[in-house]
Amino acid sequence: MDRDKLAVLAISESGFIFDPVTGHSYTANSTGLRILELLKDGKDMEGVKSAMADEYEAGEDELSVDINDFIENLKKYFLL
Amino acid sequence: MKITVAVSGINTIDNPGPGAGICRALKESGMDVRTIGLAYDALEPGIYLDQIIDKSYIMPYPSGSRESFIDRIKDIHSRECIDVIISALDAELPIYMDIEPVLKDMGIKMLIPTKEMFRLRDKLRLKELAEKIGVKAPEYLSCTSLTDLHEAAKKLGFPLMVKGPFYEAYKANSIGEAEGYFTKIAVAWGYPIIAQKFIQGDEYDVIGCGDGNGNDMGVFAIRKMTITKLGKVWNAVSVRNEKLISATKKVVKGLSWRGGFEFEVLLEDKTQDIYVLEINPRFPAWVYFPAGCGINLPARMVQLLTGQEYDTHSDYKSGKLMIRHTNELVKDISDFEQVSTFGESAEKGE
Repeated sequence: MDRDKLAVLAISESGFIFDPVTGHSYTANSTGLRILELLKDGKDMEGVKSAMADEYEAGEDELSVDINDFIENLKKYFLL
Repeated sequence: MKITVAVSGINTIDNPGPGAGICRALKESGMDVRTIGLAYDALEPGIYLDQIIDKSYIMPYPSGSRESFIDRIKDIHSRECIDVIISALDAELPIYMDIEPVLKDMGIKMLIPTKEMFRLRDKLRLKELAEKIGVKAPEYLSCTSLTDLHEAAKKLGFPLMVKGPFYEAYKANSIGEAEGYFTKIAVAWGYPIIAQKFIQGDEYDVIGCGDGNGNDMGVFAIRKMTITKLGKVWNAVSVRNEKLISATKKVVKGLSWRGGFEFEVLLEDKTQDIYVLEINPRFPAWVYFPAGCGINLPARMVQLLTGQEYDTHSDYKSGKLMIRHTNELVKDISDFEQVSTFGESAEKGE
């Protein structure tokens, strides 16, 4: 994971994400925003999953799929 | 000390010139500046922007005689005591490069590229320039006939960018489309037409100013968010892309660039590699945007030319948004009469 890229992203409480290097902006929902916060805090995949499991009523498998999906999207947009 | 600066390109139309932005940046710089607009038509909107342009004069076309162009500047100079001219139009740059020594003798200073610098940034020499500054250039072929276009399409494939010598660029997905765009551009702008390999990515611009000794006087980068049909940026956001800034500084150093410029590039989606598209040898129409963000390049240029201290930093915030808009002015027909009859606007308050 390229955490340098993540570190420079401007992420607002509303889920608005601005990439100051490319000038692109994105919107994440509250779940996506929470994943981004956890990644920015230095959590790895397992750490994100574990924190999310405590906070959301969802099974580990379901969480894994959704988190992976979101992370793949971040990579696709060069945000990670 | 009051400084008088004459500025061209005050045509704030759908294909806007940079002049009005330059004048606005100068007026907001804190310097005591009198701005003179140099127009080519009595309906150039800048003539009527009283709050940023103090007085305007109609100039003879730069394609006409050199003597009449110089005579008109002499005439204006005799009344205005011009300290600096900022040329903001591609078409007049060759004549200004030619007469700069004459203007210097008159006490008028300019910061413009030399003929050699101008030649090196030509659209048809991009590959050479790209190699010099360590970036890429999209593969392209220069076409002066439909036969050339067919050959280019065979070599470069589709989609294919079909670009005019000055303005307009279209993405063609088939030879039929490419021929249509080729003809349309040739009728409007003439030859050569450039057939360029399509690169998937986003367009970015960097504005800067070089002092002529390889030093930059500040740079400012944007991502184009909205582009007009003529390829002009309409909305933009400031970005801090160090690769891009570094490439721009290499342009200034490598060419010992003298004057304002706009470095147009494309960042490829897949690789984030920088492809140089064009270097415009003057400030772009969005020159006020960086000034509004603390990088006032027209002011720095005037300060350099008039022997004052000037900033060279490029400290600005990313995420600043430029929103261009259209507006209407209500003037009297007598204002138009004054310009069209006497070749100059009335003094403010007259």
